[in-house]
Amino acid sequence: MRKRKVINRTEWFLIGIIFLYCAMVTLVNPAFLSFETLFDILRSSAVTTIMAAGIMVVIISGGIDVSFTAVALFGAYVTTKILTETSAAWMEHLGIAFLLSIFMGIIWGLLNAVIVHKLKLPAFIITLGTQNLIFGVMTTFIGSKTYGAAAIPKVFSRFASAQLFRIHTASGTIGVSSFVIPVAIVLALTWFIMYKTKMGRSIFALGNSESAAMRIGINPFRVRLFVYAYMGALAGVAGVVYVSQVRSMYPNALVGDELSVIAAAVIGGTKLSGGQGKLLGAFLGVLIVHLLNNTLIFLGLSSSWNDFFIGALMIVSVSVTAYQERLKNRKHFIFTE
Amino acid sequence: MGQELLTVKNLNKSFGGIHALKDINLTIRSNEIHCFAGINGSGKSTFIKCVSGIYEPDQGEIILNGRSYSRLSPQEAIEKGIQVIYQDLSLFSHLTIAENIAINKIMNSKKRLVSQKEIYSVAQTQLEKIGVEMDLNATVQESTMANCQLTAICRALAMDAKLIFMDEPTTALTGKEVKRLLTIVMDLKKKGYAIVFISHKLDEIFDIADKISIFRDGEIVGDFERSELDKKKLSHYMTGREVEYPRYVRTFQDNTPLLQVDRLGQKENYQDISFSVRPGDILGLTGLLGSGRTELGLTLFGLNPHNEGSIFFEGRELRRLTPGLMKSLGIGLLPEDRAAQGLFANRSVKQNLSSVVLERFSRTAGLLDQKEEERIAIEISTDMNVKTSSVDAPVSTLSGGNQQKVVIGKWIASKPKLFIMDAPTVGIDVGSKAEIYDKIQFYASQGMAILLISDEIEEIVLNCNRILVMAQGRQIAMIEEEERLQASQSELEEKIMQLISEENPLPVQTQGGAVV
Amino acid sequence: MDRIKKWAAKDSTLSALFVIFFVTAVSLRLVVGKTMYTPERLMLMGFQIPEFGLIALGMTFSFLLGGIDLSLVANANLSGIIGAYILTGIWMPGLSPEMSIVCGIVSALAAAVICGSLNGILIAKFSVPPMIATLSTMTFYNGVAMALTGGESIIGFPKAFTRFSTATLLGIPVLFVLFAIITAALGFLLSATGVGRKVYLYGENPVASRFSAIHNERLIIGIFTQNGFLAGLSGLAIVSRVTTAKVGYGDAYLVQAMLVAIIGGVSPSGGKGKISGVIIAIIIIQVLSSAFTIWQLSPYNRKLIWGFVLIFVIFMNHIIGLYGQRKEKTLKEK
Repeated sequence: MRKRKVINRTEWFLIGIIFLYCAMVTLVNPAFLSFETLFDILRSSAVTTIMAAGIMVVIISGGIDVSFTAVALFGAYVTTKILTETSAAWMEHLGIAFLLSIFMGIIWGLLNAVIVHKLKLPAFIITLGTQNLIFGVMTTFIGSKTYGAAAIPKVFSRFASAQLFRIHTASGTIGVSSFVIPVAIVLALTWFIMYKTKMGRSIFALGNSESAAMRIGINPFRVRLFVYAYMGALAGVAGVVYVSQVRSMYPNALVGDELSVIAAAVIGGTKLSGGQGKLLGAFLGVLIVHLLNNTLIFLGLSSSWNDFFIGALMIVSVSVTAYQERLKNRKHFIFTE
Repeated sequence: MGQELLTVKNLNKSFGGIHALKDINLTIRSNEIHCFAGINGSGKSTFIKCVSGIYEPDQGEIILNGRSYSRLSPQEAIEKGIQVIYQDLSLFSHLTIAENIAINKIMNSKKRLVSQKEIYSVAQTQLEKIGVEMDLNATVQESTMANCQLTAICRALAMDAKLIFMDEPTTALTGKEVKRLLTIVMDLKKKGYAIVFISHKLDEIFDIADKISIFRDGEIVGDFERSELDKKKLSHYMTGREVEYPRYVRTFQDNTPLLQVDRLGQKENYQDISFSVRPGDILGLTGLLGSGRTELGLTLFGLNPHNEGSIFFEGRELRRLTPGLMKSLGIGLLPEDRAAQGLFANRSVKQNLSSVVLERFSRTAGLLDQKEEERIAIEISTDMNVKTSSVDAPVSTLSGGNQQKVVIGKWIASKPKLFIMDAPTVGIDVGSKAEIYDKIQFYASQGMAILLISDEIEEIVLNCNRILVMAQGRQIAMIEEEERLQASQSELEEKIMQLISEENPLPVQTQGGAVV
Repeated sequence: MDRIKKWAAKDSTLSALFVIFFVTAVSLRLVVGKTMYTPERLMLMGFQIPEFGLIALGMTFSFLLGGIDLSLVANANLSGIIGAYILTGIWMPGLSPEMSIVCGIVSALAAAVICGSLNGILIAKFSVPPMIATLSTMTFYNGVAMALTGGESIIGFPKAFTRFSTATLLGIPVLFVLFAIITAALGFLLSATGVGRKVYLYGENPVASRFSAIHNERLIIGIFTQNGFLAGLSGLAIVSRVTTAKVGYGDAYLVQAMLVAIIGGVSPSGGKGKISGVIIAIIIIQVLSSAFTIWQLSPYNRKLIWGFVLIFVIFMNHIIGLYGQRKEKTLKEK
């Protein structure tokens, strides 16, 4: 029997690209190859990684969500507001911040699930609607002032400057950001849910074929509730990490970044047609996006070239997948258009 | 004799006035392979859906393990050990074989967690039950059709099935794979399972059946022990023809061939097909699902490029076929799947009828002449006797038979010289069926050439003056006009029935490439 | 009266839209007061309608085909920027103002058409689902625009070009006249010609359309190329009005365009909807938008309202659809 592949073809391809790219950048600018760059990338990609894990789950279930950045912003902003305005000292706690943000994320996620399931319209259109709605509710009813570095609750800045461990290099001491902790927890939890629970199997099954899933007794509505709520919860986590990282809170932050998160997942081999996707791939996708983000400058290109490369990669990856599918369908006389 | 597992008494089910099942009485026992025979639409699938809880019977009693039910829920049926393996298998194509085998059991267990180990052990146990080795880590998408079929069987076994319905499990398999499957099925029987096996291949039925029930027009016309039947008798019961209907006789004078197909081949679908069609011919093209009949039809309409041989139309060789080219030459196709490929459901009858002939009423700058469109639509719908309140009514409000007349009509509007009709009467009522036959014969007598693709042998024998029989992508017989006129209808039907169910057909010899 | 009744019964969507339009227009007049429909205000509406109206028309066509075109705004932006480079003399310096305007407009439209046809090719030749194809190209077109400009604004347009956005003809904005002509032409294309019929048939059932010998690939590439052209015009209109070109202009139009199409009765699952409905929807949205300006609503408040309206309209359509199904069912049973 063949061994279950830990790393599949897409992932090897991405690893290859990452290596080639790194080699190229190092040749042009040897300063690139350092622990500092690595840790920088790990730190800066924390928010995207957390959200990418969530969107991967949504896409595997056969859905899509573009409202999660608004959810993350909502969670982060409202939590910041509560923490700065409260007089209760016990509220000034990182755990409380995460709980608050996650709770709000879940509520919005459930709302998304209900609307997507009941209205039977493309989830993209619906979540684009809720994205505007969530953003609007926050800025209109809750607040739209900016929290500068001084106004941000201390817990966030402490969280941001905390370091997991340090290593000593020739150029000095550098540390691994504590953001690695939520990222690791999210990745582990997502892996556990997708591969070790009945719900995970249901999510894959639903994304493969809704009718076949229903035949074996899976309730699509329940799965959708879970999937979108999970996405909401992860958006909540990402929100808190984000405000800690940036150390300020603008009312128009994050929203608009959802496409690059989806792009990361898609480049990582998550198929927008549902039912297929791997955490490792999504993670590599995020890595590529952030690698470009952080290092184009080493190649003498500004970071404005980021979307150019990501868009091109995305076009190539979706066309290759779709074309293979087309050839296979034609062979079996399945006409989709 | 095994013990009674399932007994059905006076089961009735109708859909919108059409009796799909009439007073069905049947007993299925353990340690038995029970074959259902019958042509498409004879009620086999409806019966399965009633006893597996998908449909609610109108009347009758289902006795399972000694308990009587007037209706079953799908859950109850599964709990009592009934499992159905549908033709489409409903597997999850991106999950592995192991996961597919185990998923039913996982979903029906109380546990919330899943371990990979458990999935493997469940899968391995089932594979051992059927004595087969398979790569458990391959996804369904990467697996052969045969392995998918076995996966579906294992999935049923994992649910502690006692009675397994298998709906045409062998259609997509090769000869060798079929043998293996049949061995497995017989093995399961010895282990105490009851198997209901549906197949159109008579050889298979006689290979494995203990009992044979024959369905016709929603009734069981006979329950037999295997030894009581032979192929001839079986095909006789299946078609049940006693009265001889008037049959189509070609009267058209022009004998110049319209379409000539010479040693045509398409790698995976069919090989070495040669025939010709004259104006006024109704050439029947019959064979089982997977025999290549539909695939050949699609080629002739430009949707399945051939890679061997040649196609001549009106003496000119055709290359790079596309539906657009075929239409402009005067070739039309009535597709096999009416709803998915033929109808624009929410559009009006008028717009459906005019969809193929837009240029017939296009004026300068592509402007559509709505009056002319209306005229054409009314003319065709009157001609085809489409029963609708108005040509502006959405086509979805029509009955199946009238919808089919619309799909036929949209091509008739283009006045084709050659009309390829794939399964023209599947799923429609008897009345419309007769009308459609009438129309087909009428158009042919006017000089239209028709290629009638069907697996309903009666339909073929009734309407076609020449018949080409295919099996496993090969042309195995060509029944010409003289032979057809000499044989009686039932003789022909039995002959074809036996031909198409041959296991290893030999290709027909064509002399020096000459086409008849 | 009878005639109105008859007409209303014939096209219930359109008549419902008219009612919504009147109620909105009249109630806004009552709430806002006289300033709502001053000639200046109407003129301003006329200037603004073409920009998002063209995007909305593109969205309408993609919806009618059962798809979606997310790249419209990105395309408008990119082609606007390409035009801007030539108009401002950064590319091809030394042209006379007239020549630079001609070259600028032509290359902007050419870029837009190429972008549009790339969408069409991905969808028709590679079978990439429209949403996925245009999501990818949206990222890519934005990426190209970013790479070209580095996020900076392009300024320094010839006066003749920027004046175009405020030019009037017999008191009507020229751009609006142009938009009206295009809309009429597209409405005519959809309702009266063979191409339009094919769009509806394809949207209803693309497989049946293929089996009816309709050339699906040609149709898809054609329509998406046309969408590109519309986006290009919109991009030029934006640049001309704002007098700068920059990545990210008109981002809100994407939601507005979907909103317009859905309010206008165009079904995102294809085959259903008319230009006439879309026109009324465009006007409704523009009237609302003007009222928001008068009330000085922040972009935040607008997002809230647009998002809410989008979900609400989808919800209402769903309810109406359920009701319609029940009605049809009882009709069939009879």
